[in-house]
Amino acid sequence: MNSSASKPWLRLLDLAPVALFAVMLVVFGAMSDRFLTTGNIVQVLVQASSTAVVAVGMTFVLLTAGVDLSVGAVMFLGAGLAGKMALAGQPLPLCLAVMLAVGIAAGAVNALLVTRLRLVPFIATLAMLHIGRGTGRWVTQTRAMNLPEPFLLLGSARWLGVPLPIWMAGTVVAVAHLVLTRTPFGRQLHALGNDAEAARKAGLPTGRLLAAAYIICGACAGLGGILALTQLGAVSPKFGELYEFDAITASVLGGTSLFGGRGKVFPGTVLGAVMLKCIFNGLVIARADPYLYPVITGAVIFAAVLLDSLRDGIAKKLARRRIIPAG
Amino acid sequence: MIASTEDRGTTAEPSDAVRFDGIVKGFTGVPVLKGVSFGVAAGKVVGLVGENGAGKSTLMNLLGGNLRPDAGTIRRDGRPYTPQGPDDARAAGIAFVHQELNLFPNLSIAENLFLRDFPRGPGRLPWIDRGALRAKSEALLLQVGLDRDPATPVERLPAGERQLVEIAKALGADARVILFDEPTTSLSSVERERLFALVAKLRDRGIAMVYISHALGDVLRLCDDVVVLRDGEVVGAGAATSFDHDRLVSLMVGRQLTQLYPERLPRTHDVAPGAPVRGPVLEVSGVSQPGIVRDISFQLVAGEVLGISGLMGAGRSELARILFGLDPHGTGEIRLDGERLDGPPGERIRRGLAFLTEDRRGEGLCMEASITDNMALATLRSHTRTPARWLDSRAVDLVVGLMRDAVRLSPKAKGADAVRTLSGGNQQKVVLGKWLLAAPKVLVLDEPTRGIDIGAKSEIYQLVHRLADRGAGVIVISSELEEVVGICDRVLVMRHGAITGEFRRGGFDREKMLAAALVAPKP
Amino acid sequence: MTSAGTIGGRGSRSVARILGSGHFGLVLCLMAAVAFAPVAPGFLSSGNLANILVGALPLLVLATGQTIVLVTGGIDLSVTAVIGLASIVGALVMGGEHGWMRGSPMAMPVGIAAMLGTGATIGFLNGFCVARLRMPAFMVTLVATMTFGGLAVWLVKQAAGVESIYGLPASFLALGSRPALAACLAVLATVAAHLLLGRTLLGRWFHAVGHNPRASLISGVPVGRVTVAAYVVSGIFAALASVLITARLETGSPNHGKALLLDVIGAAVIGGTSLSGGRGKVVWTVHGVLFLALLGNGMDLLNVSDFLVTIAKGAVILVAALLDVWRRRLAIDAE
Repeated sequence: MNSSASKPWLRLLDLAPVALFAVMLVVFGAMSDRFLTTGNIVQVLVQASSTAVVAVGMTFVLLTAGVDLSVGAVMFLGAGLAGKMALAGQPLPLCLAVMLAVGIAAGAVNALLVTRLRLVPFIATLAMLHIGRGTGRWVTQTRAMNLPEPFLLLGSARWLGVPLPIWMAGTVVAVAHLVLTRTPFGRQLHALGNDAEAARKAGLPTGRLLAAAYIICGACAGLGGILALTQLGAVSPKFGELYEFDAITASVLGGTSLFGGRGKVFPGTVLGAVMLKCIFNGLVIARADPYLYPVITGAVIFAAVLLDSLRDGIAKKLARRRIIPAG
Repeated sequence: MIASTEDRGTTAEPSDAVRFDGIVKGFTGVPVLKGVSFGVAAGKVVGLVGENGAGKSTLMNLLGGNLRPDAGTIRRDGRPYTPQGPDDARAAGIAFVHQELNLFPNLSIAENLFLRDFPRGPGRLPWIDRGALRAKSEALLLQVGLDRDPATPVERLPAGERQLVEIAKALGADARVILFDEPTTSLSSVERERLFALVAKLRDRGIAMVYISHALGDVLRLCDDVVVLRDGEVVGAGAATSFDHDRLVSLMVGRQLTQLYPERLPRTHDVAPGAPVRGPVLEVSGVSQPGIVRDISFQLVAGEVLGISGLMGAGRSELARILFGLDPHGTGEIRLDGERLDGPPGERIRRGLAFLTEDRRGEGLCMEASITDNMALATLRSHTRTPARWLDSRAVDLVVGLMRDAVRLSPKAKGADAVRTLSGGNQQKVVLGKWLLAAPKVLVLDEPTRGIDIGAKSEIYQLVHRLADRGAGVIVISSELEEVVGICDRVLVMRHGAITGEFRRGGFDREKMLAAALVAPKP
Repeated sequence: MTSAGTIGGRGSRSVARILGSGHFGLVLCLMAAVAFAPVAPGFLSSGNLANILVGALPLLVLATGQTIVLVTGGIDLSVTAVIGLASIVGALVMGGEHGWMRGSPMAMPVGIAAMLGTGATIGFLNGFCVARLRMPAFMVTLVATMTFGGLAVWLVKQAAGVESIYGLPASFLALGSRPALAACLAVLATVAAHLLLGRTLLGRWFHAVGHNPRASLISGVPVGRVTVAAYVVSGIFAALASVLITARLETGSPNHGKALLLDVIGAAVIGGTSLSGGRGKVVWTVHGVLFLALLGNGMDLLNVSDFLVTIAKGAVILVAALLDVWRRRLAIDAE
């Protein structure tokens, strides 16, 4: 393909996530008046908050061309511990701090496995998924726990008329966005994801960068667990299940490339997370057959991944050297 | 040798920004640099020329801290300089501008310039001071004359502007010594002029520069001094004004190494009266692909060894990939035995085509797989029985065993060993064996002896001749002029994706061949 | 680097050679047997061993199919969705109140054919996306899991109006009630896969594509078709596992096999099949399956809670993966 012909395509594919989102809003908006009301929008945002936070962490890892499958299990383990402590009468802040600490610790183990022991991220975090879920079930003795009132109050509290979960998710997104776009670490992470070998040659501390990405992902899983807990008010043995898939999906829907080096937390990943919940919410409002939800969601994600692959293919073609000089 | 170059050297002053003294370096017993000495003074541009394999890149890797010399010293501003890695080179104010640029296309110009140490905001916070980043970047871009917003992603820049960014990066790192390695390969003529103006400006600022290029006209025009390398030795050094194009070429190719190449007489039987008139086994007519090759036409006769020469990036390998169906071609036609050649590589292999690629590790071999599996891969299909394409592994082992002897693979290697454990020469013999098993009508060899010791080289040449004598057509693509001159019956020279010269054995003229590769055809 | 320091010694090198040579799974099986035999009551009784083997049959078939995809350098996460959808399709053909061929003597063969066809179709779609559209296998099969898993739930609601379908023909249920029959089927499939991977042209091509797709293409291997074939085989094997599970549980349900995914990949990796492609054997996978079965059963007999089993499985996968990295690094160091 001629390079001058494929460049506009590349730009167009960059816009694909936003276009996908806009199409969805229009379609659902046309199907029901209730979809685009303030109340509904706030509800969707609250529902999306925990997924968004976990997906923000996942974006850091995906930027390095890795993956973290253990986030759901980490959420469960943290929630199990926090629930036990809360039922034993420990103060709320301490419980929440423990959840965050569990996330950071799990992230550190993942980082160790991937950087020092050089395991493939997929298999390392898959094993951590097993271990995390097993430990979580041990902690909870595979029983559901109903948490004390303060947890749910946290989820329904409002500040300046906006629910607390949205504030929390918004803060995480803002900080992550600034870190990725405005700090040396963030920019170097992009370089590492684009070409790890070149980054090493350029003198970047690739091991530390990679480790930081996994630790941040773990911390976000812990925070996401807190947000999910404040909505549900209970820890079931299924808590956090499939969150890893939702997080990857939200990132990819938002334009994060699975090939590394390309992705934005804002609007990208946030858009992706909101989109996931929107599909769900829109289908509910449009009274679609609930059993078709996963099929439709799957189709939307498929479209996003296909666009990402097309984009990668075109970018690779453009990178090829021309032999006959242009001028 | 060293003494004689010292005598001829014009840059032996102690004030040299960089000085090489008696540098010796070898790889696994093969000497690459045999006592190289020369210096580069501040505010001077030294052109470093030589054929591929003369030792230029090894010299650069020594300076960059990627390799360490076996003997000899490098001095930087008169002090001994012993870099342990790229960081040391950077700290010593040495920067490289490579043919393949080391930029991250997903980041902006400014970010690429300051990736290692971004200007920080106040109070030791980890935020990038975006104002300072922009200001510093703009100052650097101004120095290199690139009128672009520093926030532009590098992937949106054309090749020439990326080159300027790379130079700005060197300046940003306070480089006092800059090495250019084939910087003009992918530049348009306008971009090239801009680069030259910039080099002149940097010289005025007292920066020492080494300029490596095959574009000899550019070297003579741009450089103050020229150093000619051949076979790891300095064979000529002096002021650029004391050289001309022809003298440089004859210094570069001067050597004769006859015993390496098996004897090859000028071929007469394809034109001899009474000989059976053989049609061409491969006909290529008018093959073009926008931006890659243009209007390629040639014929290959059975039993002929045809060389394709030219510089790296002249489009030779790309032509081979088109022949083999790995890349598309726009117009033109390829015929094998008079019939149109189409379809995927598998189909072309069945028709009698074979292709030894230049990237042995990436495209030639499955490095972790066994010798037997690699050698049999292209011909497995012929050792199967229906139903279910059952593999006759005894037959496979038998033919692979025979071929191992035919290509003289090291007897120490066992058939089940991973090819990763073999030396480069033996690995190449495995690839060659794979294709010889297919008994091809046309075999295309792309850089068949790159990185291979002399002994294996000579054995590979003999195998090529034996195959041609059995009636196959062979195409040998090589950057080493000596190689194509040594083993081919006929040589085509390519430049910028087009054929710019044709020579027959008996009429080989190295200087004219090199000229065809270097000089642009007059419009 | 701590890991390099502790494992670089000569003694550990020979240990690594043994463990990395492809017998790691077998060594683990023996270790599990030796560990459980004295403490777990009845562990070595023939009844218990038969139980272990019969219980492991679906996992064996699944992991065998997965091995072929892993050898080509891919991964197939959609096997659980195939189990669910094939189970529903088969049940809709054969039984329940609305079975299309209910009562017909042809119900069993047609039903099984429909199940295998379902698996092959999903496998083909996966392979097409990976080979032709160049999408990452991980994402493609993940989306397939979601979509086809959802489709199974929708289908059973739509067509039968219930959660799961009972009333399957007796000839089909015999596959579940007569372990010898099921074992024959599973072993036959496993042996077929072993021969396919080790003794045929396609098998060699699977390996070559996993080692280096570019070199394979240049050597005339039809890389696209070979890749598609691997996913089709994996899909068919998952459908076969669905036949075994559906027959044993006597119901068609979209929820069959949901918990098996981690065991499937774990079994292959524990056996020594590499996730980076080119290296893998069905025999190794058999070892891995056997080990997971022994571990599960032994801990069951000891009344160890299931969360400890899960932790142990995770740890074993981790060790297996570490060994794989370790083996490769030693091989490179030895040069």
